[in-house]
Amino acid sequence: MKVSKDAISQYIPHREPFIMIDNLVSVTNDRFESDFYIEEDNVLVEDGHFQESGLLENIAQTCAASFGFLGREEAGEPKIGFIGAITKVEVHQLPAVHATIRTIVEPLHQLGNIYLVKGESFLEGRILLGCEMKIVVTQ
Amino acid sequence: MYANDVKMSWEEVIEETRDFLSEEFEVDRNLILPENSLKDTLDLDSLDYVDLVVLIEENLNIKITGEDFKEIVTFGDFYRLVRKKLDL
Repeated sequence: MKVSKDAISQYIPHREPFIMIDNLVSVTNDRFESDFYIEEDNVLVEDGHFQESGLLENIAQTCAASFGFLGREEAGEPKIGFIGAITKVEVHQLPAVHATIRTIVEPLHQLGNIYLVKGESFLEGRILLGCEMKIVVTQ
Repeated sequence: MYANDVKMSWEEVIEETRDFLSEEFEVDRNLILPENSLKDTLDLDSLDYVDLVVLIEENLNIKITGEDFKEIVTFGDFYRLVRKKLDL
């Protein structure tokens, strides 16, 4: 594990109750992976299910934490990533509370400090949501 | 440059480029002329340049970097860069 739940706030600007990622499981330049346990009182839970907005935020925070982690390894301090755009959203299923989702993000293209990434979240191997995001990373 | 295993001439590459740019950015292809501004004609913001990079890679199979864009103002500049990268 690269970053545990206790330390994740060192890598993202978000704070409770809007932290939508637990552990950063693995990070390379080509692939980021995180997990997240969905609590019953999560602010993005409705009718017992984590909403599409929560899954998107989880993907974005996986990016942010990973760029933060890579930035700290390279330059000693974490970079901050902002969502520039979200496209190609496909929602397959919304996870119920008490589920632990896994999220995988792959950077597809980079132009300067803007990254195009593909993000997918999974529950027990089944895809929940997929999308592409443009992430702007602070220099 | 090959499309569907058929070798394309430079003129065909330009026409193909005008087609995918006009379709993706919803611009009249008749405005995609060598003397016109790439940024203004396609109404590009900084995020759109990433889409442009992806399109170019998918359609022409070449990689464009941020450094490359520093030298591109018009479609003519863009075509010259593409031709150089394609070695045509």
